[in-house]
Amino acid sequence: MSTNAGHYLLWALALLVIVGPIVPVVAASLWSTPLYDSGGHLTWDNFHALLTDGSWWSAVGNSVLFAALNTAGSIVVGVACAVLLTRTDVPGRRVLTTLLLIPLALPGLVLIIGWAAMWTPAGFATSWLETHTFLSMPVNLYSVPGMALVGMTVASPTVFLLCRGTLLSIDPALEDAARTLGAGPLRSLLSVSLPLLRPAVTNAALLVFALSMEVLGLPLILGYSSDIGLISTYLYDHWTNDAQQGLVSAGAVFLLVAVSGLLVLRNRLVGDTARFTTTTGKPTGVRVLRMGRVRWLLASVLALFLALFVLVPLAGVVLAAFTSILSPFISPWSVLTLDNFSAVFDNPLYTNSIVNSLLIAGVGGALTTLVIAVLSVIAHRSRFRFRGSLQQGMLWPRMMPALVTGMAFFWSFALLDRSGAIRASLWGIGIAFAVRSLALGYSAFYPALAGIGADLDHAARTSGASWWTAMRTVVFRLVAPAAGASFVLLFVAMLNDAEPAVFLVTDRTPVLGLTMLQLAATSIGGSVAALGVIQMVITLVVLGAGRALLGVRPRA
Amino acid sequence: MPSLHLNNLTKRFSQHTALHELSLTVQEGEIFTLLGPSGCGKSTTLWSIAGLHHPDSGSIAFGDHVVFDHGRVDIEPEHRNCGVVFQSYAIWPHMSVAANVGYPLKLRKTARAQREQRVREVLDLVELGDHATAYPHQLSGGQQQRVALARALAHPPDMLLLDEPFSNLDAKLRDRSRQWLKNLQSQVGVTTVFVTHDQDEALSVSDRVAVMNQGRVHQVGTPDEIYEHPADLFVADFVGTANILSATVTQADGTHALLRVDGLDQPLRVPHTDRRLGRVRVCIRPESIDIHRRTSTGAAPPDTLTVNVENRAYLGDHYRYTVRIGATPVTVTTTRPVSDGELTISLPPGDIRVFPEETPSAVLGETPSNEENPHASVR
Repeated sequence: MSTNAGHYLLWALALLVIVGPIVPVVAASLWSTPLYDSGGHLTWDNFHALLTDGSWWSAVGNSVLFAALNTAGSIVVGVACAVLLTRTDVPGRRVLTTLLLIPLALPGLVLIIGWAAMWTPAGFATSWLETHTFLSMPVNLYSVPGMALVGMTVASPTVFLLCRGTLLSIDPALEDAARTLGAGPLRSLLSVSLPLLRPAVTNAALLVFALSMEVLGLPLILGYSSDIGLISTYLYDHWTNDAQQGLVSAGAVFLLVAVSGLLVLRNRLVGDTARFTTTTGKPTGVRVLRMGRVRWLLASVLALFLALFVLVPLAGVVLAAFTSILSPFISPWSVLTLDNFSAVFDNPLYTNSIVNSLLIAGVGGALTTLVIAVLSVIAHRSRFRFRGSLQQGMLWPRMMPALVTGMAFFWSFALLDRSGAIRASLWGIGIAFAVRSLALGYSAFYPALAGIGADLDHAARTSGASWWTAMRTVVFRLVAPAAGASFVLLFVAMLNDAEPAVFLVTDRTPVLGLTMLQLAATSIGGSVAALGVIQMVITLVVLGAGRALLGVRPRA
Repeated sequence: MPSLHLNNLTKRFSQHTALHELSLTVQEGEIFTLLGPSGCGKSTTLWSIAGLHHPDSGSIAFGDHVVFDHGRVDIEPEHRNCGVVFQSYAIWPHMSVAANVGYPLKLRKTARAQREQRVREVLDLVELGDHATAYPHQLSGGQQQRVALARALAHPPDMLLLDEPFSNLDAKLRDRSRQWLKNLQSQVGVTTVFVTHDQDEALSVSDRVAVMNQGRVHQVGTPDEIYEHPADLFVADFVGTANILSATVTQADGTHALLRVDGLDQPLRVPHTDRRLGRVRVCIRPESIDIHRRTSTGAAPPDTLTVNVENRAYLGDHYRYTVRIGATPVTVTTTRPVSDGELTISLPPGDIRVFPEETPSAVLGETPSNEENPHASVR
């Protein structure tokens, strides 16, 4: 009986924290005054104001254009890379794959800062090309296509991972069958395996499109200064500058409906199972397609693009961080300095941000891992009546745009914690980051849990262990490595997360991601690059340790 | 050691009913086997006894102690004091052999010295005394299986439940393990429920066997009762090999009947307790059919039938011939080969079992036996 009571209590708490906060956002969008003020009445005014605002509609148009370009481009690049790097004998596949995946492992902001430092019209690499060669950067980054180009560096590896998993899991006998019937190797690849990729491509396209609708960092850094508004920057601007909270809530409801609609569609079309299978497949069965001499050309082209669009921006961040001024007309070696780092460490805002983020990532990541482990065993190993809703609940945050999550917690704290104590402490942002990362941690944790035969806990039960004891002494021990992997992913995600903090941050709770975002929105100075290098180093160290100790891999 | 009483257990899954008002009694100290094809409900029954499945109605009692009574009592598995050996063994890979075996004792807060003593005792019993500190992955399949058994016996349990424990072992080891289990069980004397789909295993290990199909018990009896006097066609066909023929009862007096088997000229007088006349099905084991070898005179003895051999197989310790009686394929086995293309056979009346034509519950048993493998339809 006590087991059951515990289950009900945890279930109610989990749904309250994970799903509950969405209610006040909807309420705020339909209420005439902010929810923390007294009075007010039910109204459509916020939606009316939103739908009659011309800049809202131009933001929607830009967002859709950006998402479409980003999706189309990354599908082409991602699928091509998946085929070339898993099914052909292109030389240097391992190195090229690693280069391609770097943007997924790194904090998103670092790469954008790097692009901004190098490839903007006045950027280091662009100017260098123009002064030293007859070449030039053909795309202006301060435009929607320019932003899409930057977005593709993160979206393409996502597509790559989803398609590679499918390519590796296709039974080679299917292509062998085509070979025995007279198809050449290339033809059997194109006519058998590529069509089998269609579900994976649909899945990836909808996912990338949905994520593109909600990105904030990219348009804030590249579009804001050129007056190119996207939905996310529209919401950000009206929240931070005009304090039109009702209007922003209405916009958030719109964004939520659009993004979750797309993701629901995706689940309908392809199911969510792909997210929970490891992307490693069974490499022994893969047939390698011989490309002849073309392979060298293909490898060179790929290497060139990856160098230009991944390595050059990263070098840009590092250069900007270690020089006093980054300009093609002055040799960077002559202006090397550590001043940017001392500036960071002398500024309490920056040091507080770093410390706060490490606290949230470390303590918050550990607590979130524990919560995920407990909820997962209730969801998958108990006879609890509502276990199905817990499984859905842990995936729900994936449907929520980051900005909406932040706003949801803002309103929830405003309503339930009038004293403001939670928001004044790191718990406010920590809880929002945790909920946002829940699905990521769960998707790392669940396959390991599913891999442990139910007989193992049944054996404990029949030996005399209560349900909790069986979980504690058997299941948790066996999933410990997966919990470690889950912690590593949560640590990195929570260290670098920014968007939900837009609504929750106070003077006393700055966090690394948001501080960098706010700084980068106004200038690409040496300090933001230095912060980027610090963020990158912490991320790589943690991921590297995770990979060495626990086999953590980047996830789509 | 308590006896075990299952009373009217019913379990429905969304698509089918796994148990139909199942009632059984297992005497204290016996090895009781649930035998049946996969999906017959034997594992569901076992898990219901262990408390891992929850029937939709009925009750389960260990002696006088009711552990399940639908809607009223449902003792959690940890409080039923069973020892369970899983088909997969379910040995915890992160614990040593001694820790696996000591786990139930630890949960029962047995003092450390006593616990170590008991773990040694049980491991010695399963002949694994030297492997106490090993981890499961260092053991062979047979050893793992014995660790699972040791763990199940450690506390010690009121009831030992075994779910196809030998199915992952190779044929030789499986045979040895059965003998060993039977000896061990008689030493320990614990009431044991054993689940298997393997008729050889059921016949060799058990004190009594319940043959199940589609959630119903067809027969409960000692191994020789089950084999020699199957209660219906399903049991006859599932346990061992059975030739099933159509026949007509022309006279019946309650102890014997006069039987005309289709394809045989002479009527046979067979033991039979029913008095009804009409169409029936009869069953005879392949090894019971008598083969009459050619005598020097060349004439076939009376009451015999000479048939063509359609198929022959050499199986090491015996020969198997397929012939036809009327239109029905019949399997005959013998330890001495027959060189001719013909076989002269007779059906000894004492070995013929008569069943009513329609046995509604034995749907599978009605399929005529297949030439190569009479079990193909039920396995």
